[in-house]
Amino acid sequence: MKPVLEVAGYTLDYTTPLGSMRALHDVSLSVARGEMLGLVGESGSGKTSLAWAIMRYLAANAVERAGTLRLAGEDLRALTPKQLTALRGARIGMVFQDPSTSLNPTLTLGRQITESLELHRGLSPAAARAEAEAMFARVGLRDPAAMLRRYPHEASGGEKQRVVIATAFACRPDCIIFDEPTTALDVVTSRQILDLFATLQAETGVASLYISHDLAIVSGLAHRVAVIHRGRIVEQGVTAEVFGAPRNEYTRTLLAAVPRPEERLVNTMPGDATPLVAAKHMTVHYGRPAFLSGLFGRKPRGVLGAENVSLTVRPGEVLGIVGESGSGKSTMARALTGLAPFEGRLTVAGRVIAGAAQMGRDYRRDVQIVFQHPDSSLNPRHRIREILSRPLKLYGDPEGLGIETAIAKMLEAVRLPADFANRYPHQLSGGEKQRVAIARAFAPRPRLVICDEVTSSLDVSVQASVVRLLVELQRETGAAYLFISHDINLVRQIAHRIAVMHRGKLVETISIEDLAAHGPSHPYTAQLMAAVPRLQTGGNEHEFR
Amino acid sequence: MVELLHRLVRSPQGAIGLSLVVLVLLLALFGPALAPHNPEALGVLRRYKPPSVDHWLGTDQLGRDILSRLLVGARATVLLALLATLLGTLAGAVLGTASAFLGGKADEAIMRTVDAVMALPSLLMSLLIVSAMGRGAENAVLAIAITFTPGMARITRSVALAVRRQDYVNAAVARGEGALYIVIREMLPNVVAPIVVEMSIRVAFAVMLFATLSFLGLGAQPPSSEWGLMVSEARRFMHLSPWMILWPSIAIALVAVGFNLLGDGLRDALNPRT
Repeated sequence: MKPVLEVAGYTLDYTTPLGSMRALHDVSLSVARGEMLGLVGESGSGKTSLAWAIMRYLAANAVERAGTLRLAGEDLRALTPKQLTALRGARIGMVFQDPSTSLNPTLTLGRQITESLELHRGLSPAAARAEAEAMFARVGLRDPAAMLRRYPHEASGGEKQRVVIATAFACRPDCIIFDEPTTALDVVTSRQILDLFATLQAETGVASLYISHDLAIVSGLAHRVAVIHRGRIVEQGVTAEVFGAPRNEYTRTLLAAVPRPEERLVNTMPGDATPLVAAKHMTVHYGRPAFLSGLFGRKPRGVLGAENVSLTVRPGEVLGIVGESGSGKSTMARALTGLAPFEGRLTVAGRVIAGAAQMGRDYRRDVQIVFQHPDSSLNPRHRIREILSRPLKLYGDPEGLGIETAIAKMLEAVRLPADFANRYPHQLSGGEKQRVAIARAFAPRPRLVICDEVTSSLDVSVQASVVRLLVELQRETGAAYLFISHDINLVRQIAHRIAVMHRGKLVETISIEDLAAHGPSHPYTAQLMAAVPRLQTGGNEHEFR
Repeated sequence: MVELLHRLVRSPQGAIGLSLVVLVLLLALFGPALAPHNPEALGVLRRYKPPSVDHWLGTDQLGRDILSRLLVGARATVLLALLATLLGTLAGAVLGTASAFLGGKADEAIMRTVDAVMALPSLLMSLLIVSAMGRGAENAVLAIAITFTPGMARITRSVALAVRRQDYVNAAVARGEGALYIVIREMLPNVVAPIVVEMSIRVAFAVMLFATLSFLGLGAQPPSSEWGLMVSEARRFMHLSPWMILWPSIAIALVAVGFNLLGDGLRDALNPRT
């Protein structure tokens, strides 16, 4: 069968002030009608560059060195700008990562889809409207007629992504490129979206290129898979074969790094003593009353971040908090570190803390936090030395080694060379930066470390090594963790107990033994666990079908 | 720093701006040594002379050499304008960053005060300050600095608000750093790029504002050869000798253009994405 999309020997460079940088090297792949090809790679592997190359929308400094791009036999590189305009949207569709930025906030959702219907299929406004309504119904939007009139901010993330998908499918393209279409969505929503892809793809027989860093999603969705590493396709083949019996070393590393909930990483037991941290009925409001609103007798309106949450962490315990975005996980982290004001009762090692103002030196030292994005949690204008020396200056040098030796030891503890002290954060990779942030958190010998989605912004393989490091540090220092993550598979690997949060409320707290023995007791937890994609390594069954 | 300079001179506006500014700064430093005549030497027979071999830019109503006066006056004009901008920028940057960091009522109080000050036009404001404190170059510098502070505070605050949300500031708060450390060490270095750009553009404003004040008789006083003052004095003799008003005006314009171009160049050079 003739492939719809064919990339052969494609090589792409970016010219930078530092010289030419190879983004794609001799990339060859093809997607047949009705087929979904998964393109898997870590950040910087060139997968998005390939998507833009196919869309013929490359950055100004991109230089195409060799190769061909063909859509149904037609050479895409030879097209004029006018032909390209006719091609994009009509014959190649694209679904982007973040629906909140890929939709125009000033146009109604209906207009965004009717525009392309009128433009590419030449429908009259009335016909386009009817077609759009039908498309909206087909992608599972409730009340499509009302949805047509809404603006993007009036729809949820999942609804917006459905609109983007409807637009991509509306003009019956030959080929659709999906660029990490579920990364910005919640677990449960993204599961529904994935189901939708599978259905639509089977119905329309469109050729799809599905770009993702998430092996679990691709394993359940794609017919064939191509693994890309540093601009080269290292392995390509039928999904079950590639993931079941990987031939390439890099593919094996990637697969080994995917969290498997059955594989426990932590084997310490928490102390049974009195809880280290006990939060009782904690409530967090966001937003402050507007200036002068008191004068006009308006009641202050706040957004509820977390409501009536009670949880305890024992010394040396790893408490996992899971939930979707907006469930209040990070709000708890902010409240516990004094970044958000809270109501309720917080007891730390017997001391009662009524608010952020009462978090004294001892509390600040005992409770440390590691943030999600190391790019933003390390000051870009400070050298690693200054970053690591701050906790020592604030809380003293526990071993009296002197700042230089202490910093070298801290770096060694997170498996980084000592000469990194002279570097700036931007000279380090994402994983290395996160290690520095971890070293900073462990410097004052804390008793509780709050890990707020520490692995989410990292690549799969780096993620695994950072988790291993955290587990080792936990064993060495005996610190308790509050491990916040949306990835329930990962949390099941390392937590002693799991707290599940949903819409600002604590749904349930369950120990890992109980979860393994009896399964979740709350239906939401069960829903969450079912929604998380699992890596499929054998058989030809497609989980999302 | 070297890389920044490299990127700066690669853009045409950066290269032209930088060379103009360096030239002006060199003149400001070495001007008095380079001046061919005594800038205050009077000559009854040499009045209103057009440019000639002896007097390259001609002479003024008292027969003083205009080139020498310009060279000597560069120091008063450019260096004082720079000083005024630096003072205003520093005060505005600290105020804006602190306001963004503190937030809440303190932010509200600072920014509403700034709004009130900004409601007055800058020239009127500096006129007010100078007339309250007395005429003279030092007071003009202070007046310009105070006039610039609110605008700089606003610009800095808008950048600092984005920095305030960064996790490194949260991390500093969470580990119990003091407000002073957070404002000075964590936040200020990260808002410096837009401030530098704004500052280089404002130097041009300061030169003009300073010249305006002198022109109105409130800045530098005769017989100083501050450029604004020279324009002011030459105005009366414009029909006798247009050269007299032309040269100091061109000098002011060149400095303004130079700093403006440098500001544009810096804006591009400090933004690595362009």
